[in-house]
Amino acid sequence: MSKSSSASNGFLVELENVTQRFRVIHERPDTLRELFSKFLRHEVNYYELDAVKNVSLEVPRGQMLGILGRNGSGKSTLLKIIAGVFRPTAGTVRVHGTLAPLIELGAGFHHELTGRENILLNGLLMGHSKEEMQAREQSIIDFAEIGDFIDAPIKQYSSGMQTRLAFAVATEVDPDILILDEILAVGDAAFQQKCFARISNFRKAGKTILFVSHSMPQVQEHCDRAILLEKGAIVADGNPTEVAETYKHMWSAELAVAN
Amino acid sequence: MRELLVETFRYRQLIWALAMKELKVRYKRSVLGFMWALLNPALTMLVLTIVFSTILQFNIPHYAIFLLSVLLPWTFFSQSLSYAVECIVGNGELIKKVSVPKLVFPVAAVVSNIINLLLSMIPMALLVLGMRHPFYATWLYLPVPMLALVLFTLGMTFLFATANVYYRDVAHILQVVLSAWFYFTPIIYALDFIPPHRRWLFKLNPILYVINGFRLAVYYGQLPRWQSVAASFICGLVALLIGFWVFRKYQDEFVFYV
Repeated sequence: MSKSSSASNGFLVELENVTQRFRVIHERPDTLRELFSKFLRHEVNYYELDAVKNVSLEVPRGQMLGILGRNGSGKSTLLKIIAGVFRPTAGTVRVHGTLAPLIELGAGFHHELTGRENILLNGLLMGHSKEEMQAREQSIIDFAEIGDFIDAPIKQYSSGMQTRLAFAVATEVDPDILILDEILAVGDAAFQQKCFARISNFRKAGKTILFVSHSMPQVQEHCDRAILLEKGAIVADGNPTEVAETYKHMWSAELAVAN
Repeated sequence: MRELLVETFRYRQLIWALAMKELKVRYKRSVLGFMWALLNPALTMLVLTIVFSTILQFNIPHYAIFLLSVLLPWTFFSQSLSYAVECIVGNGELIKKVSVPKLVFPVAAVVSNIINLLLSMIPMALLVLGMRHPFYATWLYLPVPMLALVLFTLGMTFLFATANVYYRDVAHILQVVLSAWFYFTPIIYALDFIPPHRRWLFKLNPILYVINGFRLAVYYGQLPRWQSVAASFICGLVALLIGFWVFRKYQDEFVFYV
Protein backbone atom coordinates (compact mmCIF):
# COMPACT_ATOMS: atom_id res chain seq x y z
CA MET A 1 0.00 0.00 0.00
CA SER A 2 1.38 3.38 -0.83
CA LYS A 3 0.30 6.81 0.18
CA SER A 4 1.50 9.84 -1.65
CA SER A 5 0.38 13.41 -1.66
CA SER A 6 0.35 14.11 -5.38
CA ALA A 7 -2.56 12.83 -7.36
CA SER A 8 -1.24 11.68 -10.70
CA ASN A 9 -4.47 11.58 -12.61
CA GLY A 10 -7.09 13.42 -10.58
CA PHE A 11 -8.15 10.39 -8.56
CA LEU A 12 -7.81 10.95 -4.84
CA VAL A 13 -8.66 7.37 -3.97
CA GLU A 14 -7.58 4.44 -6.12
CA LEU A 15 -8.17 0.80 -5.27
CA GLU A 16 -6.90 -1.95 -7.50
CA ASN A 17 -8.12 -5.53 -7.06
CA VAL A 18 -8.35 -5.11 -3.31
CA THR A 19 -9.27 -8.13 -1.23
CA GLN A 20 -9.62 -8.25 2.53
CA ARG A 21 -9.70 -11.71 3.97
CA PHE A 22 -10.74 -12.40 7.53
CA ARG A 23 -10.33 -15.52 9.51
CA VAL A 24 -13.57 -16.23 11.24
CA ILE A 25 -12.95 -18.54 14.12
CA HIS A 26 -15.68 -21.05 14.45
CA GLU A 27 -14.97 -23.51 17.09
CA ARG A 28 -17.18 -26.39 17.86
CA PRO A 29 -15.30 -28.67 20.17
CA ASP A 30 -17.42 -31.62 21.20
CA THR A 31 -15.83 -32.26 24.54
CA LEU A 32 -13.84 -30.29 26.94
CA ARG A 33 -10.96 -32.66 26.44
CA GLU A 34 -11.04 -32.08 22.72
CA LEU A 35 -11.03 -28.37 23.24
CA PHE A 36 -8.03 -28.67 25.49
CA SER A 37 -6.06 -30.91 23.17
CA LYS A 38 -6.90 -28.70 20.23
CA PHE A 39 -5.71 -25.74 22.17
CA LEU A 40 -2.44 -27.49 22.92
CA ARG A 41 -1.89 -28.43 19.30
CA HIS A 42 -2.90 -24.97 18.10
CA GLU A 43 -5.65 -26.40 16.00
CA VAL A 44 -8.42 -23.91 15.91
CA ASN A 45 -11.14 -24.25 13.35
CA TYR A 46 -11.74 -21.27 11.23
CA TYR A 47 -13.03 -20.46 7.81
CA GLU A 48 -11.87 -17.64 5.63
CA LEU A 49 -14.18 -14.91 4.54
CA ASP A 50 -13.49 -12.28 1.94
CA ALA A 51 -15.17 -9.22 3.42
CA VAL A 52 -14.04 -7.26 0.37
CA LYS A 53 -13.48 -9.23 -2.79
CA ASN A 54 -11.38 -8.01 -5.67
CA VAL A 55 -12.64 -4.46 -5.59
CA SER A 56 -11.31 -1.84 -7.96
CA LEU A 57 -12.51 1.69 -7.48
CA GLU A 58 -11.38 5.13 -8.51
CA VAL A 59 -12.82 8.22 -6.91
CA PRO A 60 -11.93 11.53 -8.56
CA ARG A 61 -11.39 14.83 -6.82
CA GLY A 62 -14.62 16.61 -5.94
CA GLN A 63 -16.86 13.56 -6.15
CA MET A 64 -19.31 12.56 -3.47
CA LEU A 65 -19.62 8.82 -3.64
CA GLY A 66 -22.53 7.08 -1.95
CA ILE A 67 -21.94 3.53 -0.79
CA LEU A 68 -24.98 1.32 -0.46
CA GLY A 69 -25.32 -2.24 0.67
CA ARG A 70 -26.86 -4.36 3.35
CA ASN A 71 -25.36 -5.05 6.73
CA GLY A 72 -22.30 -7.24 6.30
CA SER A 73 -21.86 -6.40 2.62
CA GLY A 74 -18.40 -4.96 3.25
CA LYS A 75 -19.07 -1.22 3.35
CA SER A 76 -17.28 -0.53 6.60
CA THR A 77 -14.40 -2.84 5.72
CA LEU A 78 -13.94 -0.98 2.46
CA LEU A 79 -13.87 2.36 4.25
CA LYS A 80 -11.39 1.04 6.82
CA ILE A 81 -9.09 -0.13 4.04
CA ILE A 82 -9.19 3.36 2.53
CA ALA A 83 -8.65 4.94 5.95
CA GLY A 84 -5.57 2.77 6.46
CA VAL A 85 -6.94 0.85 9.43
CA PHE A 86 -6.65 -2.47 7.58
CA ARG A 87 -3.79 -3.43 5.38
CA PRO A 88 -5.54 -5.40 2.63
CA THR A 89 -4.70 -9.05 2.05
CA ALA A 90 -4.22 -8.40 -1.66
CA GLY A 91 -4.31 -5.48 -4.07
CA THR A 92 -3.10 -1.92 -3.89
CA VAL A 93 -4.58 1.15 -2.28
CA ARG A 94 -3.53 4.65 -3.20
CA VAL A 95 -4.79 7.63 -1.26
CA HIS A 96 -3.71 11.12 -2.27
CA GLY A 97 -4.18 13.84 0.29
CA THR A 98 -5.25 14.14 3.89
CA LEU A 99 -8.08 12.06 5.13
CA ALA A 100 -10.65 12.60 7.83
CA PRO A 101 -12.33 9.35 8.75
CA LEU A 102 -15.58 9.46 10.65
CA ILE A 103 -15.97 5.74 10.77
CA GLU A 104 -17.79 5.63 14.00
CA LEU A 105 -19.18 8.18 16.32
CA GLY A 106 -16.37 9.75 18.29
CA ALA A 107 -13.67 7.15 17.76
CA GLY A 108 -10.82 8.44 19.82
CA PHE A 109 -12.95 10.33 22.26
CA HIS A 110 -12.13 9.58 25.84
CA HIS A 111 -15.08 9.81 28.15
CA GLU A 112 -13.24 11.13 31.18
CA LEU A 113 -11.68 14.00 29.27
CA THR A 114 -13.42 17.28 28.56
CA GLY A 115 -14.64 18.33 25.14
CA ARG A 116 -11.71 20.70 24.77
CA GLU A 117 -9.17 18.02 25.66
CA ASN A 118 -10.87 15.63 23.27
CA ILE A 119 -10.70 18.10 20.41
CA LEU A 120 -6.94 18.19 20.82
CA LEU A 121 -6.53 14.43 21.28
CA ASN A 122 -8.78 13.61 18.34
CA GLY A 123 -6.95 16.10 16.12
CA LEU A 124 -3.58 14.65 17.09
CA LEU A 125 -4.86 11.15 16.37
CA MET A 126 -5.80 12.26 12.89
CA GLY A 127 -2.27 13.52 12.42
CA HIS A 128 -2.71 17.25 12.94
CA SER A 129 -0.50 19.41 15.11
CA LYS A 130 -1.33 20.90 18.46
CA GLU A 131 -0.98 24.46 17.13
CA GLU A 132 -3.33 23.69 14.25
CA MET A 133 -5.94 22.30 16.62
CA GLN A 134 -5.69 25.22 19.02
CA ALA A 135 -6.17 27.65 16.16
CA ARG A 136 -9.34 25.84 15.08
CA GLU A 137 -10.67 25.08 18.53
CA GLN A 138 -13.12 27.95 18.76
CA SER A 139 -14.70 27.37 15.37
CA ILE A 140 -15.09 23.67 16.21
CA ILE A 141 -16.87 24.55 19.44
CA ASP A 142 -19.08 27.04 17.64
CA PHE A 143 -20.01 24.68 14.85
CA ALA A 144 -20.78 21.81 17.22
CA GLU A 145 -22.93 24.14 19.38
CA ILE A 146 -21.45 22.71 22.55
CA GLY A 147 -21.31 26.00 24.44
CA ASP A 148 -20.33 25.86 28.10
CA PHE A 149 -20.30 22.08 28.06
CA ILE A 150 -16.94 22.18 26.30
CA ASP A 151 -15.12 22.00 29.63
CA ALA A 152 -17.24 19.14 30.97
CA PRO A 153 -16.22 15.49 30.50
CA ILE A 154 -17.57 13.93 27.31
CA LYS A 155 -19.46 11.29 29.29
CA GLN A 156 -21.94 13.97 30.31
CA TYR A 157 -22.71 14.74 26.67
CA SER A 158 -25.75 13.43 24.88
CA SER A 159 -25.03 11.19 21.92
CA GLY A 160 -26.14 14.01 19.63
CA MET A 161 -23.60 16.35 21.20
CA GLN A 162 -20.85 13.77 20.75
CA THR A 163 -21.70 13.30 17.09
CA ARG A 164 -21.76 17.04 16.56
CA LEU A 165 -18.36 17.42 18.14
CA ALA A 166 -16.91 14.50 16.17
CA PHE A 167 -18.28 15.89 12.91
CA ALA A 168 -17.02 19.38 13.71
CA VAL A 169 -13.48 18.15 14.51
CA ALA A 170 -13.27 15.99 11.40
CA THR A 171 -14.50 18.64 9.01
CA GLU A 172 -12.94 21.73 10.54
CA VAL A 173 -9.41 20.47 9.88
CA ASP A 174 -9.91 20.85 6.15
CA PRO A 175 -9.25 17.32 4.88
CA ASP A 176 -9.01 16.42 1.18
CA ILE A 177 -11.04 13.28 1.68
CA LEU A 178 -13.90 12.92 4.12
CA ILE A 179 -15.25 9.54 5.11
CA LEU A 180 -18.73 9.44 6.61
CA ASP A 181 -19.97 6.09 7.85
CA GLU A 182 -23.63 6.33 8.79
CA ILE A 183 -22.85 8.92 11.38
CA LEU A 184 -25.43 11.37 10.18
CA ALA A 185 -28.18 9.06 11.33
CA VAL A 186 -27.72 10.59 14.77
CA GLY A 187 -28.27 14.25 15.48
CA ASP A 188 -31.40 16.25 15.00
CA ALA A 189 -32.77 17.52 11.72
CA ALA A 190 -31.40 21.04 12.18
CA PHE A 191 -27.91 19.78 12.73
CA GLN A 192 -28.17 17.38 9.80
CA GLN A 193 -29.06 20.37 7.64
CA LYS A 194 -25.96 22.13 8.90
CA CYS A 195 -23.81 19.09 8.20
CA PHE A 196 -25.10 18.79 4.66
CA ALA A 197 -24.51 22.49 4.13
CA ARG A 198 -20.92 21.99 5.15
CA ILE A 199 -20.64 18.87 3.00
CA SER A 200 -21.84 20.76 -0.04
CA ASN A 201 -19.21 23.44 0.64
CA PHE A 202 -16.68 20.64 0.70
CA ARG A 203 -17.88 19.47 -2.68
CA LYS A 204 -17.63 22.97 -4.09
CA ALA A 205 -14.07 23.16 -2.78
CA GLY A 206 -13.24 20.06 -4.83
CA LYS A 207 -12.95 17.60 -1.97
CA THR A 208 -13.80 13.95 -2.16
CA ILE A 209 -16.45 12.49 0.10
CA LEU A 210 -17.23 8.85 0.73
CA PHE A 211 -20.67 8.53 2.19
CA VAL A 212 -22.22 5.40 3.63
CA SER A 213 -25.89 5.64 4.39
CA HIS A 214 -28.95 3.47 4.62
CA SER A 215 -31.07 6.41 3.62
CA MET A 216 -31.51 6.17 -0.14
CA PRO A 217 -33.09 9.63 -0.40
CA GLN A 218 -29.95 11.11 1.22
CA VAL A 219 -27.72 9.30 -1.25
CA GLN A 220 -29.89 10.30 -4.21
CA GLU A 221 -30.04 13.91 -3.13
CA HIS A 222 -26.39 14.50 -2.29
CA CYS A 223 -24.21 12.05 -4.17
CA ASP A 224 -22.79 12.32 -7.69
CA ARG A 225 -22.31 8.61 -7.96
CA ALA A 226 -23.17 5.52 -5.98
CA ILE A 227 -21.88 1.99 -5.72
CA LEU A 228 -23.70 -1.02 -4.39
CA LEU A 229 -21.83 -3.66 -2.46
CA GLU A 230 -22.99 -7.22 -2.10
CA LYS A 231 -20.91 -9.93 -0.44
CA GLY A 232 -17.81 -7.79 -0.65
CA ALA A 233 -18.02 -7.04 -4.37
CA ILE A 234 -19.28 -4.04 -6.30
CA VAL A 235 -22.43 -5.14 -8.09
CA ALA A 236 -23.61 -1.76 -9.35
CA ASP A 237 -21.85 1.49 -10.01
CA GLY A 238 -23.18 4.71 -11.49
CA ASN A 239 -26.01 7.17 -11.18
CA PRO A 240 -27.28 7.24 -7.56
CA THR A 241 -30.92 6.93 -8.53
CA GLU A 242 -30.29 3.88 -10.72
CA VAL A 243 -28.07 2.21 -8.14
CA ALA A 244 -30.70 2.86 -5.47
CA GLU A 245 -33.29 1.22 -7.75
CA THR A 246 -31.08 -1.84 -8.17
CA TYR A 247 -30.69 -1.99 -4.40
CA LYS A 248 -34.44 -1.81 -3.85
CA HIS A 249 -35.03 -4.52 -6.44
CA MET A 250 -32.49 -6.72 -4.76
CA TRP A 251 -34.16 -6.78 -1.43
CA SER A 252 -37.73 -6.66 -2.64
CA ALA A 253 -36.94 -9.81 -4.63
CA GLU A 254 -35.58 -11.37 -1.48
CA LEU A 255 -38.58 -10.30 0.56
CA ALA A 256 -40.84 -11.90 -2.01
CA VAL A 257 -38.95 -15.16 -1.70
CA ALA A 258 -39.10 -14.99 2.08
CA ASN A 259 -42.84 -14.47 2.04
CA MET B 1 15.37 1.19 15.45
CA ARG B 2 15.62 4.36 13.41
CA GLU B 3 11.92 3.98 12.72
CA LEU B 4 11.23 4.02 16.46
CA LEU B 5 13.11 7.31 16.91
CA VAL B 6 11.64 8.96 13.82
CA GLU B 7 8.05 7.98 14.60
CA THR B 8 8.39 8.89 18.26
CA PHE B 9 9.63 12.32 17.29
CA ARG B 10 7.00 12.76 14.63
CA TYR B 11 4.16 11.85 16.95
CA ARG B 12 5.62 13.48 20.07
CA GLN B 13 2.59 15.72 20.55
CA LEU B 14 0.21 12.77 20.33
CA ILE B 15 2.38 10.67 22.67
CA TRP B 16 2.49 13.51 25.17
CA ALA B 17 -1.27 14.03 24.97
CA LEU B 18 -1.89 10.31 25.47
CA ALA B 19 0.49 10.20 28.44
CA MET B 20 -1.18 13.23 30.03
CA LYS B 21 -4.57 11.66 29.37
CA GLU B 22 -3.42 8.56 31.21
CA LEU B 23 -2.28 10.56 34.23
CA LYS B 24 -5.41 12.68 34.25
CA VAL B 25 -7.63 9.63 34.11
CA ARG B 26 -5.58 7.87 36.77
CA TYR B 27 -5.91 10.70 39.25
CA LYS B 28 -9.34 11.92 38.25
CA ARG B 29 -11.96 11.98 40.98
CA SER B 30 -9.36 11.66 43.69
CA VAL B 31 -9.37 14.62 46.03
CA LEU B 32 -5.60 14.88 46.12
CA GLY B 33 -5.10 14.34 42.39
CA PHE B 34 -1.50 14.56 41.27
CA MET B 35 -0.42 14.69 44.92
CA TRP B 36 -0.82 10.91 44.94
CA ALA B 37 2.24 10.57 42.73
CA LEU B 38 4.18 12.09 45.66
CA LEU B 39 2.18 10.59 48.49
CA ASN B 40 2.29 7.05 47.24
CA PRO B 41 6.06 6.58 47.54
CA ALA B 42 6.05 8.60 50.77
CA LEU B 43 3.50 6.28 52.37
CA THR B 44 5.23 3.18 51.00
CA MET B 45 8.41 4.47 52.59
CA LEU B 46 6.64 4.86 55.89
CA VAL B 47 5.29 1.32 55.84
CA LEU B 48 8.55 -0.24 54.77
CA THR B 49 10.56 1.75 57.25
CA ILE B 50 8.32 0.55 60.05
CA VAL B 51 8.42 -3.04 58.87
CA PHE B 52 12.13 -3.26 58.26
CA SER B 53 13.60 -1.01 60.89
CA THR B 54 11.46 -2.05 63.81
CA ILE B 55 10.17 -5.52 63.10
CA LEU B 56 12.74 -7.16 60.85
CA GLN B 57 15.99 -5.59 61.80
CA PHE B 58 18.50 -5.65 59.00
CA ASN B 59 21.82 -4.26 60.02
CA ILE B 60 21.72 -1.52 57.40
CA PRO B 61 21.85 2.11 58.44
CA HIS B 62 19.19 4.36 56.91
CA TYR B 63 17.47 1.31 55.55
CA ALA B 64 14.58 3.34 54.13
CA ILE B 65 16.94 5.13 51.74
CA PHE B 66 18.77 1.92 50.93
CA LEU B 67 15.46 0.36 49.97
CA LEU B 68 13.76 3.28 48.30
CA SER B 69 16.69 4.11 46.03
CA VAL B 70 15.97 0.91 44.06
CA LEU B 71 12.33 0.44 44.95
CA LEU B 72 11.36 3.59 43.03
CA PRO B 73 12.97 2.49 39.75
CA TRP B 74 11.52 -0.99 40.28
CA THR B 75 8.07 0.47 40.82
CA PHE B 76 8.48 2.43 37.62
CA PHE B 77 9.37 -0.78 35.78
CA SER B 78 6.59 -2.90 37.22
CA GLN B 79 3.91 -0.20 36.95
CA SER B 80 4.84 0.62 33.36
CA LEU B 81 4.59 -3.03 32.42
CA SER B 82 1.38 -3.76 34.32
CA TYR B 83 -0.33 -0.83 32.71
CA ALA B 84 1.24 -1.06 29.28
CA VAL B 85 0.61 -4.77 28.79
CA GLU B 86 -3.00 -3.74 28.09
CA CYS B 87 -2.15 -0.70 26.00
CA ILE B 88 -2.87 -2.27 22.61
CA VAL B 89 -5.89 -4.27 23.69
CA GLY B 90 -7.20 -1.35 25.75
CA ASN B 91 -6.97 0.99 22.79
CA GLY B 92 -8.51 -1.62 20.52
CA GLU B 93 -11.56 0.46 19.69
CA LEU B 94 -9.29 3.24 18.54
CA ILE B 95 -6.99 0.97 16.55
CA LYS B 96 -10.03 -0.44 14.75
CA LYS B 97 -11.20 2.98 13.66
CA VAL B 98 -8.27 5.28 13.15
CA SER B 99 -5.06 4.68 11.29
CA VAL B 100 -2.45 5.60 13.83
CA PRO B 101 1.06 4.22 14.37
CA LYS B 102 0.66 1.58 17.05
CA LEU B 103 3.93 2.38 18.77
CA VAL B 104 2.48 5.57 20.24
CA PHE B 105 0.54 3.52 22.79
CA PRO B 106 3.42 1.68 24.51
CA VAL B 107 5.62 4.77 24.31
CA ALA B 108 2.92 6.97 25.86
CA ALA B 109 2.36 4.39 28.62
CA VAL B 110 6.03 4.49 29.52
CA VAL B 111 6.19 8.29 29.30
CA SER B 112 3.32 8.70 31.77
CA ASN B 113 5.20 6.50 34.20
CA ILE B 114 8.44 8.45 33.71
CA ILE B 115 6.58 11.50 34.99
CA ASN B 116 5.53 9.49 38.02
CA LEU B 117 9.10 8.33 38.59
CA LEU B 118 10.45 11.87 38.43
CA LEU B 119 7.79 13.09 40.84
CA SER B 120 8.59 10.28 43.26
CA MET B 121 12.18 11.48 43.43
CA ILE B 122 10.94 14.48 45.44
CA PRO B 123 9.80 12.56 48.54
CA MET B 124 13.00 10.52 48.36
CA ALA B 125 15.08 13.69 48.38
CA LEU B 126 13.05 14.92 51.35
CA LEU B 127 13.67 11.63 53.13
CA VAL B 128 17.41 11.91 52.53
CA LEU B 129 17.35 15.37 54.06
CA GLY B 130 15.05 14.34 56.89
CA MET B 131 17.17 11.34 57.90
CA ARG B 132 20.34 13.44 57.65
CA HIS B 133 21.73 10.99 55.13
CA PRO B 134 24.44 12.72 53.07
CA PHE B 135 23.07 14.31 49.89
CA TYR B 136 25.68 13.06 47.46
CA ALA B 137 26.73 14.87 44.32
CA THR B 138 26.24 11.52 42.57
CA TRP B 139 22.51 12.34 42.39
CA LEU B 140 23.51 14.25 39.29
CA TYR B 141 24.46 10.93 37.75
CA LEU B 142 20.88 9.58 38.02
CA PRO B 143 19.81 10.49 34.45
CA VAL B 144 22.25 7.83 33.18
CA PRO B 145 20.72 4.80 34.95
CA MET B 146 17.31 6.33 34.26
CA LEU B 147 17.97 6.22 30.54
CA ALA B 148 19.07 2.58 30.71
CA LEU B 149 15.97 1.81 32.77
CA VAL B 150 13.65 3.48 30.27
CA LEU B 151 15.19 1.57 27.35
CA PHE B 152 14.83 -1.72 29.20
CA THR B 153 11.26 -0.97 30.28
CA LEU B 154 10.23 0.12 26.80
CA GLY B 155 11.64 -3.07 25.31
CA MET B 156 9.77 -5.29 27.76
CA THR B 157 6.64 -3.21 27.23
CA PHE B 158 6.71 -3.79 23.46
CA LEU B 159 7.18 -7.50 24.04
CA PHE B 160 4.44 -8.00 26.61
CA ALA B 161 1.96 -5.69 24.88
CA THR B 162 2.37 -7.70 21.66
CA ALA B 163 2.03 -11.04 23.41
CA ASN B 164 -1.10 -9.87 25.20
CA VAL B 165 -2.84 -9.16 21.90
CA TYR B 166 -2.69 -12.85 21.01
CA TYR B 167 -3.02 -14.40 24.45
CA ARG B 168 -4.87 -12.38 27.05
CA ASP B 169 -3.42 -14.72 29.69
CA VAL B 170 -0.21 -12.71 29.42
CA ALA B 171 -1.56 -9.87 31.55
CA HIS B 172 -2.31 -12.32 34.35
CA ILE B 173 0.95 -14.21 34.07
CA LEU B 174 2.80 -10.92 34.11
CA GLN B 175 1.68 -10.19 37.66
CA VAL B 176 3.13 -13.48 38.88
CA VAL B 177 6.31 -12.95 36.90
CA LEU B 178 6.74 -9.46 38.34
CA SER B 179 6.27 -10.56 41.90
CA ALA B 180 8.80 -13.42 41.51
CA TRP B 181 11.17 -11.05 39.74
CA PHE B 182 10.87 -8.57 42.61
CA TYR B 183 12.15 -11.08 45.18
CA PHE B 184 14.81 -12.36 42.83
CA THR B 185 16.21 -8.83 42.48
CA PRO B 186 18.26 -7.29 45.32
CA ILE B 187 15.72 -4.62 46.27
CA ILE B 188 14.77 -5.30 49.88
CA TYR B 189 18.18 -6.91 50.39
CA ALA B 190 21.68 -6.43 49.01
CA LEU B 191 23.52 -8.78 46.70
CA ASP B 192 26.05 -9.27 49.53
CA PHE B 193 23.38 -11.16 51.51
CA ILE B 194 23.49 -13.98 48.98
CA PRO B 195 26.06 -16.72 49.65
CA PRO B 196 28.99 -16.11 47.26
CA HIS B 197 28.61 -19.43 45.43
CA ARG B 198 25.01 -18.54 44.46
CA ARG B 199 25.58 -14.97 43.39
CA TRP B 200 26.22 -15.88 39.77
CA LEU B 201 22.56 -16.87 39.52
CA PHE B 202 21.43 -13.44 40.66
CA LYS B 203 23.84 -11.81 38.28
CA LEU B 204 21.92 -13.32 35.36
CA ASN B 205 19.10 -10.93 36.14
CA PRO B 206 19.34 -8.09 33.60
CA ILE B 207 17.46 -5.55 35.68
CA LEU B 208 20.08 -5.85 38.43
CA TYR B 209 22.53 -3.85 36.33
CA VAL B 210 19.88 -1.39 35.30
CA ILE B 211 18.74 -0.42 38.79
CA ASN B 212 22.00 -0.87 40.64
CA GLY B 213 23.24 2.56 39.56
CA PHE B 214 20.38 4.15 41.50
CA ARG B 215 21.41 2.62 44.82
CA LEU B 216 25.08 3.41 44.32
CA ALA B 217 24.37 7.05 43.50
CA VAL B 218 21.73 7.78 46.12
CA TYR B 219 22.70 5.55 49.04
CA TYR B 220 26.44 5.01 48.73
CA GLY B 221 27.37 8.18 46.88
CA GLN B 222 29.41 6.17 44.40
CA LEU B 223 29.52 5.93 40.66
CA PRO B 224 29.21 2.43 39.19
CA ARG B 225 32.17 0.83 37.45
CA TRP B 226 32.14 1.29 33.71
CA GLN B 227 31.57 -2.45 33.19
CA SER B 228 28.37 -2.16 35.17
CA VAL B 229 27.22 0.88 33.18
CA ALA B 230 28.00 -0.93 29.94
CA ALA B 231 26.10 -3.99 31.16
CA SER B 232 23.05 -1.86 32.00
CA PHE B 233 22.98 -0.26 28.56
CA ILE B 234 23.55 -3.56 26.81
CA CYS B 235 20.59 -5.04 28.72
CA GLY B 236 18.47 -1.99 27.91
CA LEU B 237 19.32 -1.94 24.22
CA VAL B 238 18.98 -5.68 23.71
CA ALA B 239 15.56 -5.62 25.41
CA LEU B 240 14.50 -2.72 23.22
CA LEU B 241 15.80 -4.28 20.00
CA ILE B 242 14.04 -7.58 20.63
CA GLY B 243 10.86 -5.96 21.93
CA PHE B 244 10.53 -3.51 19.08
CA TRP B 245 11.42 -6.11 16.47
CA VAL B 246 8.62 -8.38 17.70
CA PHE B 247 6.17 -5.48 17.98
CA ARG B 248 6.94 -4.26 14.48
CA LYS B 249 6.59 -7.72 13.03
CA TYR B 250 3.07 -8.15 14.37
CA GLN B 251 1.67 -4.62 14.55
CA ASP B 252 -0.29 -4.78 11.29
CA GLU B 253 -2.17 -7.80 12.58
CA PHE B 254 -3.21 -6.22 15.89
CA VAL B 255 -6.36 -4.78 14.38
CA PHE B 256 -7.71 -8.29 13.75
CA TYR B 257 -7.21 -9.49 17.31
CA VAL B 258 -8.12 -6.56 19.55
